[in-house]
Amino acid sequence: MKGKKLLAWMLIIILAFSVVGCTTPGSEEPEEPAEEPEEPAEGEEPEEGEEPAEESEKILTYSLTADVPTLDQHLANSIPSATVGHQIFEGLIRTYQGEVRPGIAEDWEMSEDGTTYTFYLRDAQWSDGEPVTAQDFEYSFRRLLDPETASGYAFIGMALKNANAVNKGEVPVEDLGVTAIDEKTLEVELENPAGYFLSMLSMMQFAPTRQDYVEEFGKDYAATAENNVYNGPFVVKEWRHEDRLILEKNPNYWDADSINLDEVHIIVVPDQMTALAMFEDGELDMVEVPAEVVSQYDDQVEYYYNGANDFIKLQMDGSSPLENKDLRLALNYALDRQEFIMLSTGGLYDPNPRYVLPQVNGVDGEYGDEYPYAAYPVEGDVDTALEHLDAAMEALGVSDPSEIELELLTTDVERTRKEAEIIQDDLESKLGIKIDIRQVPYRQRLDMEGAKDFEMVVTGWAPDYSDPMTYLELWTTDSGYNHGSYSNPEYDAKIELARTSTDQQERMDAMFEAEKILLEDGAIIPLQLRRIAMLTNPDLVGFESYFVGLSYEYTYADFE
Amino acid sequence: MKKYIIKRVFISLITILVLVSVVFALVRLIPGDPFASEKMTPEIKANLERYYGFDKPLIVQYFTYLKNLVTGNLGYSMFYPNLRVNDIIASAFPYSFDLGMRALSMAISFGLILGIVAALNRGKVLDFTCVLIAIIGTSMPDFIIGATLQYFFGIKWGLLPVAQYKGISYTILPSIALGFYTLALVSRVMRANMIETIQQDYIKTAKSKGISKLRVIIKHQIRNAIMPVITILGPIVAALLTGTFVIESIFAIPGMGRHYVQSIQNLDYTIILGMTVFYGSFLVVANMIVDLLYGIVDPRIRVSGE
Repeated sequence: MKGKKLLAWMLIIILAFSVVGCTTPGSEEPEEPAEEPEEPAEGEEPEEGEEPAEESEKILTYSLTADVPTLDQHLANSIPSATVGHQIFEGLIRTYQGEVRPGIAEDWEMSEDGTTYTFYLRDAQWSDGEPVTAQDFEYSFRRLLDPETASGYAFIGMALKNANAVNKGEVPVEDLGVTAIDEKTLEVELENPAGYFLSMLSMMQFAPTRQDYVEEFGKDYAATAENNVYNGPFVVKEWRHEDRLILEKNPNYWDADSINLDEVHIIVVPDQMTALAMFEDGELDMVEVPAEVVSQYDDQVEYYYNGANDFIKLQMDGSSPLENKDLRLALNYALDRQEFIMLSTGGLYDPNPRYVLPQVNGVDGEYGDEYPYAAYPVEGDVDTALEHLDAAMEALGVSDPSEIELELLTTDVERTRKEAEIIQDDLESKLGIKIDIRQVPYRQRLDMEGAKDFEMVVTGWAPDYSDPMTYLELWTTDSGYNHGSYSNPEYDAKIELARTSTDQQERMDAMFEAEKILLEDGAIIPLQLRRIAMLTNPDLVGFESYFVGLSYEYTYADFE
Repeated sequence: MKKYIIKRVFISLITILVLVSVVFALVRLIPGDPFASEKMTPEIKANLERYYGFDKPLIVQYFTYLKNLVTGNLGYSMFYPNLRVNDIIASAFPYSFDLGMRALSMAISFGLILGIVAALNRGKVLDFTCVLIAIIGTSMPDFIIGATLQYFFGIKWGLLPVAQYKGISYTILPSIALGFYTLALVSRVMRANMIETIQQDYIKTAKSKGISKLRVIIKHQIRNAIMPVITILGPIVAALLTGTFVIESIFAIPGMGRHYVQSIQNLDYTIILGMTVFYGSFLVVANMIVDLLYGIVDPRIRVSGE
């Protein structure tokens, strides 16, 4: 009996074998017939095979650990999407390394009070030959905030007049502060003056969008290379999901003469060590080196800050002893941030003794240079910490520090576990308090954070625009991101001043004051700025990294 | 026979329905929120929940899902908002299937040969070598084998591509890495069975009849020893063909494996459900075919089943 069952299994296997025997060539290239003749796949004369190919065609190849989630302007909500979106779309403005340059808008005017902008569009074309119009922008801005679109990134448009009310469905989308005056003129109204607003307009969420395409393809809009239309320096040539995304130079782009690359190949390689091996094999032009092996490439890597700024949020809503300012300051002064980054990343990341990312724009240069500041000594100051601890214990009516027990929430991955343990060890040994680590999955941590269901949580914030406000607006009393329930009227007043002022110096001064208030209150525990070690092909020039919204900029990259 | 087939199909459908229901409930019990991000606000979250129908009662969502499932529609992914789960599976499965088939055929053929050679040279150097390979294969995790192969064949000697899956030469290293454990397993089982059959009476009988040594090995020994090997292959076939996370990740193969892990990390409910339905149906259908073939081969089964 058993034998018969086995026989049947055997038949299945044989059947399956014969099936695969027929389909093998097809299943190697499941969606398309074989191509990639340039790849030195079979190992025949790889060096000679590569050279002529590079001369005729300039192809930049890099990898991502997962596929680009979407190229829909308004559903996009990640750095990989934004990095590609920056190349295939162009908004009113094009930024390069943070510098504001004319994009589809040739010129613009700002009203006296800084809340109304008028943009004059150039003659630009979509990749299908249609002209780019002011209506395409009007449709785009409205679609971003339309509750029906359900954009997870709608918050980026909240600077627009009535944006919040539109997104909540309280007023129709037509009430949004954007109006196409005619085909070539667009008027944009803001809630408050915002000097950084122009640079935000280069983000893909503000890129023009073709209503006819969106309506034709519905939910399948942007799902494939063909279901989308482009107006940036590149167009999507081919998109094999989870495998490769191929961009091609857009001949219809108004500034096509400045674009040197013929194609950009973005390959999905989930394992960073594999990507490194592929780079060494010459298959990739750029790779991010995993922290564990950075020391082996010391002399070749370039470092860049990717904008990620890690800190610990503290719960001040009264449910925790952290409501006590002295206790918060004791933690802040006790922590040796230098030792922390050495132990956790071997010094790849930078210790951060302040809150605002120093790289964001100040009045003329970088904010960090114009307003240097260290709220706490980088190596900690145990004496000051103990003074604050004594004060805290008195206020809390505690006689022994070990009676103070705090829970540190973090994500359940190896890196964050290590970080939490270093913090735990440092604070426990110096202050004698007790820290319990709680690890949960990433999405759960975010969920708990949003629900204010934590005492201390290791988290972070990446900038949405290059201005201190992108960090500071989180901590106003009425902010939706104020998960620690921080409230200081003085802080709120400084932020309000910075929001309404059109004088850049006055704004910056106010924001710096606010940053100091926040840290003197010990509202958060700053930890580190993430630095990425990158290896690039020595022939590749003009491949840049950036820290706001996108990770790489290769619009004007070239091979020498 | 007809009645028997109908009964088998019906049972299979019930199995899939139970699977879908259980997974539907379990997915929602995973702590965390699929829309959670550092920058999420309650208002934006409300829009997203309305968009995905999460504002409706769970039971309504369940029946909507079942209704779509009947028409073969697995819905749109939540993490890849423009992609249909059907399309994701359709593009990923061929890679996993192809890789699995290659690994399987390599594992079976070389595993059997190693097992037979080892058994026939019992106690000699050749046996020792084969056993060593089997021990390595069963004790070394596949990612170590994969990374080692990559290092030597890909980087150091430059013989084969390091990663990706775009031609025959690309398939060799991942197939070996994926199939090595099965190869070792097959060779061990085969060796043990060969040694066992050698002592059977029918082998002695065959030998005493004056049949040539080679003929005894092929006709009697191998034929009898191979049956238990096929028993262990059942679940292995399903596991290899539907994708493995580690190997696909190391070799950058766009197969099913990464979706199993990623979708749970992302709490991408529709992909988790879609993958489970697909994988579950794959097993259920394979079992059903076995049962049906079984019925064809052995009429007693289908008669008693009726």
